[in-house]
Amino acid sequence: MRVKHTAITLALITTLSACGGSGSDDTSTETPVVPTTGFSFVATEMIINLTDDVIVAGYADLAAQGDTLLLATQTLLTSTSQADLVAAQNAWKSARQPWEQGESHIFGPVDSLSIDPHLDSWPLNTTDLQTQLDSNSGFDAETIKAWNDDVQGFHTMEYLLFGDGVNSNTKLIADLSTKEREYLIALAEVFRDYTAQLDDAWQVSHNPQDKNAKPYAELLKTPGDATNTIYSSQLAVIEELINGMIGIVDEVGNGKIADPFGESLTTADTSKVESQYSWNSLTDFSNNIIGVRNVYQGEFTGGADKQGLIDFVTAADTTLATRVASEIDDAILKIQAISGSTSMPFRQAILDDDGRARTQVAVDALTKLQATLQSDVLPLLSDWNS
Amino acid sequence: MNNTLTLLAVSVASVLGLSVMSNAHAATNTEIFAKAIAKQEAEIALLKQQLTTLASEQKQQQQQNKLVATQVDTVVQKTAEAHDRFSRFSVNSYGSAVYTSDEYFDNVQDTSAERRNRTDLERIVTEFGYQFTDDWSMEVEIEYEHGGTGSALEYDGFDEFGEFESEVEAGGEVVVEKAEIRYRPSKAFGVKFGNIHLPIGLSSILHKPSQYLTVQRHKSEAAMMPTVWNENGIGVYGEMSDFHYQAQVISGLNSEYFRTYDWVASGHQKRFEEVNTDDLAFAGRLDYGNFKTGSAIGVAYYYGNTSGNRHKSNKLDVDGALRIMSVAGAFVEGPWILRGQYLYGTLDNADAITLANKTTPGLRPGNFAQLGSESQSFFVEAGVKLDEWFDIPMTVFANIDYSNPLMAVETGTATQRYENTWSSVGINYSPIPEVVIKAEGGLHQVAVASIPDTNFFALGVGYQFSL
Repeated sequence: MRVKHTAITLALITTLSACGGSGSDDTSTETPVVPTTGFSFVATEMIINLTDDVIVAGYADLAAQGDTLLLATQTLLTSTSQADLVAAQNAWKSARQPWEQGESHIFGPVDSLSIDPHLDSWPLNTTDLQTQLDSNSGFDAETIKAWNDDVQGFHTMEYLLFGDGVNSNTKLIADLSTKEREYLIALAEVFRDYTAQLDDAWQVSHNPQDKNAKPYAELLKTPGDATNTIYSSQLAVIEELINGMIGIVDEVGNGKIADPFGESLTTADTSKVESQYSWNSLTDFSNNIIGVRNVYQGEFTGGADKQGLIDFVTAADTTLATRVASEIDDAILKIQAISGSTSMPFRQAILDDDGRARTQVAVDALTKLQATLQSDVLPLLSDWNS
Repeated sequence: MNNTLTLLAVSVASVLGLSVMSNAHAATNTEIFAKAIAKQEAEIALLKQQLTTLASEQKQQQQQNKLVATQVDTVVQKTAEAHDRFSRFSVNSYGSAVYTSDEYFDNVQDTSAERRNRTDLERIVTEFGYQFTDDWSMEVEIEYEHGGTGSALEYDGFDEFGEFESEVEAGGEVVVEKAEIRYRPSKAFGVKFGNIHLPIGLSSILHKPSQYLTVQRHKSEAAMMPTVWNENGIGVYGEMSDFHYQAQVISGLNSEYFRTYDWVASGHQKRFEEVNTDDLAFAGRLDYGNFKTGSAIGVAYYYGNTSGNRHKSNKLDVDGALRIMSVAGAFVEGPWILRGQYLYGTLDNADAITLANKTTPGLRPGNFAQLGSESQSFFVEAGVKLDEWFDIPMTVFANIDYSNPLMAVETGTATQRYENTWSSVGINYSPIPEVVIKAEGGLHQVAVASIPDTNFFALGVGYQFSL
């Protein structure tokens, strides 16, 4: 009897003490280390330039492409002209460009307002898409907004515009059913709304619920400001930018390309290829890395020279600055080269021995770039006398 | 004592004898006679004194005896009290560990399933109870899930390239599943308050491994509402003849966390330290018979608004009234076991909630925002105890679980992707009454034709005991 009670008591004590163990984390505030060496760089101009001329300009372009795409799909409602379908396909590809380039800085409203999944959910749910087509008519944008993300956005429109992409990426206007046209137009309207909302969040107010909220661009450009609750310093902004570049290089190399690529030809899986219906995959991937170049160089390809992260890296190490620039260019070229001399789309290339060899070269280039950004560029932040 | 008296008697006799003898000399010598008298008197006095002493000693001893008796009484009483106190204290425990083998799909486009085997120390539950008085009692239930505590990393195969996300709420956890104070003046009426179990869903009533036949608890219920549902609140309960009733007012759910695949289940407010209780809910149940001990039939109803408990209160300006109805029955007689439950629920303004969840900054419902305006699920399990005919403590069973959290949507057509049916057969083997070993194999079907059926297999072991 006594032994039993002692056992119960012990069990109780053990249980109760186990329950009471939750304590608050020790969040020790780090004292800033004042470097005795390091490099100097005045980042204000670079941050303003990257915000206005790269990021905001990109989202403004995307919103404009959203308008164009809606118009192009509306034309299809009663059209019998193949040229109209091709025009809509091209409008889709044009909208794809600023979006994919913008993935190099996928922070801020696109993330906090969950706009990314509404626009670019992958994979597409063709089963549900077919259900919607079969059982609805007179699609409207507000209804579609309430549906799950895998039956709206870029890839749903892509599927309707280009077909299943297995053997070709051309679809005949005659094969586009009335319901598909209606659905497409409503999807484009939803798309237009979200891209406009994203643009507004950067230029008008970053929180649509709060009219007094500043535009997100303002927050990025005024780090350390007393009212700035998001960025406490210029260092925080630059860190966000560098991490954004690392993030997309990682996603392209280790996700978008490597996942369908597989370890061998037998484990390659074309069902995982993004933008497979339009055969736009390689353009997507290279646009992702061109987005990295935009942030690094401070201007869109071919634009007049402005300050970008390259100027920050140059202030610390000119050799490294040049090396990063060439590694970025190299990665873009290697991705584009996957198509080979026969303009092979990515979904075919991963099932082809030579195509696989070229793909491996591109993956290696991306791995190298990612390593450089992580182990050489990111650590510069601690050497910077900000 | 008796010896002393005998001695005394002998002495008295001898003294008297002496006096008789000395009478002969008295006539001759008065002096001697007087001396003898004096001597005798002195002896008598001494004897009297001795008698008095003896009497007082006897009295003292009696008193002492009384004292000892009282002390013995006290000790006996205290022992009884201590025993009583411990008998008012109860400890129960139950738990289970499972091995599952099922097939999964990489993403929504994938139609060739891959097999995945998993083991899980599902739960270890300890219950402590104490009966303060005849009317007042308390009970605390602490559950350790998945053998540990802390946040867990989850793999979400539905996401773009498969995403690893850390889930604070999932994985190993320690949960207080129940902590209630009860006042029960009579069998017909009782009150309980604190963190109490809702009587909606049979899993809340039959949650010990020996109380259900499947290896894991019924999947149908979990795909629609919180299972072993506990909330803070107050409830009345009791029984009259064979009727059992319960009525409760409890904290409601938060619609921010409603998701396509499990309807309102993840709206159970476990993520935060404090529960928003701007919207209360009502739960009621009426059973005829007792599900825990045998045959019964019963109905249950839940009603509550869910919009007021949202953290971001400015995202939704309409009610999200939720209703869940349940009909359940059990027939447990001789070797036969048959149990079933049907659940049906409706959610008001499901589209508005979907849209609010989709556009609340940072909420990330991902691809699972769309909510059913109606939801339904059911299960039927049937078993036969073989020990009726053979010398083996085994039950064979068949089970069907069905759930469709997206039974209907407010506008448009609901996808059938979330309409699942699990059909299985299996055994329960109990080498001793406290332990049950289970095996189950079955078929999982998704209502979408293009998604192939998959097979699953599971093994489990469960225990339970009460001190």
